[in-house]
Amino acid sequence: MLYVELLAQGLVQGSIYALVAVGLTLVYGLLRILHVAHAGLFTLGGYIGVLVTNATGSLLLALVVSMLVVGLLGMAIYRLCYQPILDKPPYVALIASIGLFIAMEEIYRIAFGPYGISYENPPLQDVVHIFGITLRLGEVAVGIGTLVLIGALALFASKTRFGTVWRATVTDPEMAESFGVDIIKVRYLNFFIGSALAAVAGVMVALLNNLVEPTMGSVPSYKALAIIVLGGLGDVRGTLLAALALGVIEAYGTIYLGNYLDRDAIAFAFLILVLMVRPQGLFGRA
Amino acid sequence: MSMTKKMMAALAITGSLISAPTLADTVKIGMNVPLTGFAAADGKSALLGAELAVEQANAEGGINGTQIELVRYDDQASPKHSVPIANKLIGQDEVSVAISGSYSGATRAAAGIFQSEGVPYISAFAVHPDITKSGDYVFRTSFVGEVQGRAGAKLVGEMLGKKRVVVITLKNDFGKSLAAGFKSKAADFGIDIINEYEYSIKDRQFGPIVTKVKSDKPDAIYASGYFFTAGPLVAQLRSAGIDVPVIGQEGYDSEKFIDIAGPSSEGVLITTSLDRDATVAETKDFISAFEAKAGYKADMVAASGHTAAKVAIAAMRKAGTTDRQAIRDAIAATNMVASTGTISFNDLGEVKKDVQVQVVKDGAWHHYAVIDDKELLAPPVE
Amino acid sequence: MLGLSGYEISLITSMGIAVIFALSLNLITGFCGQISLGHAAFYGIGAYSSAMLTKAGMPLGVGILGAVIFAGLVGLAVGFTSLRVRHDFLAITTMGVGFLFIGIMRQWDFVGGEMGVSGIPGSGLGKPGFMFLVLGFGVLTVLFSLHLKRSWMGYAFDAIADDEDTARVIGLDVSRYKLAAFAMGTALAGLAGALYAHNVRFIDPESFGFVESITVLAMVVIGGIGSVFGVIIAAALLSVLPLWIQFIDEYKLLLYGGLLFAMMRFSPGGLAGLAKQILPKKSSLKASGDTKA
Repeated sequence: MLYVELLAQGLVQGSIYALVAVGLTLVYGLLRILHVAHAGLFTLGGYIGVLVTNATGSLLLALVVSMLVVGLLGMAIYRLCYQPILDKPPYVALIASIGLFIAMEEIYRIAFGPYGISYENPPLQDVVHIFGITLRLGEVAVGIGTLVLIGALALFASKTRFGTVWRATVTDPEMAESFGVDIIKVRYLNFFIGSALAAVAGVMVALLNNLVEPTMGSVPSYKALAIIVLGGLGDVRGTLLAALALGVIEAYGTIYLGNYLDRDAIAFAFLILVLMVRPQGLFGRA
Repeated sequence: MSMTKKMMAALAITGSLISAPTLADTVKIGMNVPLTGFAAADGKSALLGAELAVEQANAEGGINGTQIELVRYDDQASPKHSVPIANKLIGQDEVSVAISGSYSGATRAAAGIFQSEGVPYISAFAVHPDITKSGDYVFRTSFVGEVQGRAGAKLVGEMLGKKRVVVITLKNDFGKSLAAGFKSKAADFGIDIINEYEYSIKDRQFGPIVTKVKSDKPDAIYASGYFFTAGPLVAQLRSAGIDVPVIGQEGYDSEKFIDIAGPSSEGVLITTSLDRDATVAETKDFISAFEAKAGYKADMVAASGHTAAKVAIAAMRKAGTTDRQAIRDAIAATNMVASTGTISFNDLGEVKKDVQVQVVKDGAWHHYAVIDDKELLAPPVE
Repeated sequence: MLGLSGYEISLITSMGIAVIFALSLNLITGFCGQISLGHAAFYGIGAYSSAMLTKAGMPLGVGILGAVIFAGLVGLAVGFTSLRVRHDFLAITTMGVGFLFIGIMRQWDFVGGEMGVSGIPGSGLGKPGFMFLVLGFGVLTVLFSLHLKRSWMGYAFDAIADDEDTARVIGLDVSRYKLAAFAMGTALAGLAGALYAHNVRFIDPESFGFVESITVLAMVVIGGIGSVFGVIIAAALLSVLPLWIQFIDEYKLLLYGGLLFAMMRFSPGGLAGLAKQILPKKSSLKASGDTKA
């Protein structure tokens, strides 16, 4: 039973990783940018979630507002920050992104205080028992929410016209452009969706911890990079699987390896091992 | 002050520069404190506490009529920055005494500089045992981790009578030294440590540990951490149905812990140095004055910053000069009532004071007990 | 001493150490085009090596030499395993090495674990003496960098940085040159780390983490990747910037982040790029990360 409960906990953590990392891998697939500031958007999602919930009492409204605002900000970041330096070597965008992320964390601290904020009446804290496993409603919501959102994304990408255009652009931007695809529009959409997913993750994490701090994004800022590399950089399906795998490995690792290595080191030891065998990532194509 | 003691102190700083007392119109207290980056929350509280002590003292006429100036620099809790800052405080600002409102790494590195330049230095809340080992100019007004860990063992094993205990340890110098202190006395109080887990300061999701602790079925949980890790941890333990007592330490000691953990925080016990229900005027005054100044309730870090500054001010008053050696001697001879209790130092510069046990009741910290066992609480002497 | 205050001496010492550290990464990332997000691990290995050796009673020289050799050897091993991965995969692999280093040091009681190492012996040269030692090593590192850049090996590095596949086609032993860059760069990082340890005299795992790796990479990129003089200036400025802008108080880190961003956004060539904006663009890292290449 313990193993199953640990598995469940790992999947919950993995779902959060997935929501953050999918946006990152979408950006990478399209623009070849390691978008570290994505983690700053995740934090903002958490802040908006808590602030709107506390003001209105509605978590659902908070979720929608958070996705919209953060999605739009993601688009603005693309336009104002990345677009002008797309033709530069990749490390230029990387350092710009890191600078932006540091600045975002500091803005949150100055605007919302260094202590972080919490829900006044945290929603979804009740406990449910499923097949003998104890989970909080929030944790169940994380799992189901991730499934639904990623599922919807997959449907959108495969069944709609715009989705087809999107996938074509990610696979081969030049070819797509020659077929008359408005690449700029695709990029905006890409940033909107990726950032909105990060906002959902931020709201969810705020729910699970009942705490949003300025530095909430610091772990996802590097952990999500590891995940998209494991997933094969730019591969959404691979990223999803890598995120869940990492969540589960960390869950077992914390208990059985925790006295030898900490959570981060376990995750990166796994990453390095995988890359030694498969330099293109677990699910990447050679 | 005996002649031999003075000579010993003089001997200790032979070969280092002693700046002559300055004839400025203010006396300066230096402070390194994290105001940006990950440690900014604690830095803010410590700074406000120290500022309060300086304002209070200035309102009473400063040091024998001379106003006190607090010169503080942001060290981002990094040893890399605290070293040049220590040099700046000593050489450029010519402070008479300095305090640290920072974490262990930054404080440990700066302590060496203050010691070698013969400037008295008081650590407000950094826990690393080596800080005071820098030498006779370095003092600490908070407990070392070991002492608090021992008090925790007494609280769990004797006062609560819980014997099967799980230890959850924060993997840094604070958590490690608490765990070491707790384990050193566990057997004496009949405690059987049935399992131990470690987590990183970055963790907020404790699902796997909580799951495992549940299957351990302990009588009590001794968990080290800060309010931002302990808040989520306690909430997650409670919602998994684990309702045995949770015992924490001064790292929990903040209003924010109760905000985060909500109703789950009820009944959580901690060992700390600030008594919310104090009848001592000094502590009562501090609690109300701090809230008026800061706009939020006092916490352990704030009280520690206040205490450290207060000790420095009292020593300067007693010494009646800005001579650094005289101030050092006055600090060493401290015996005063501060917001964190009655304070004196042992030969190593470690504080001797009682441990306050506080409990969360009706959504606020309250008095539970005091541990004043001198032998148990004896700070390390070397 | 020379009319410098203790504070100024400590600033110059910090600058000198930062310059050596940044130039060490410049060998790997600037000259040879291999992005590293875990360079602080080698800085840390150097710091720990020299700290442990001198604490065991060895003289400073042995400590520093040990730091250089040990960091270089580990760097060589890491470089060897990293040969399989390229571009962004390499960047993330080196980031992983950094986290693994921290994780291991935290757990290893022999080197103090979480508690770090206290009581590291000083240089015994006094503050000004140590500053001159650091500056001396700094000058040597600069001369070495300049010499390397103009050597045959430097041209080979340049070719690899430009396009690895082309370099291979024209008959360069790419792996060997990459390993050489890794070994030299990490050994120099070890030197910088040793100097840091004897300057601050207290080290813990956290001092050599991801933030430090990012900081040093930022120095190299802000300076102008591959440009020795640009990197020197950027390292000197960025290392003491947080201390100089104390007056803006809690906006300090915001300004630092904003500066990194603005520099890349408006002058992607870094300081060196700013300086030679009129001249035609020199070869640099090609936009890459394309796994299908």
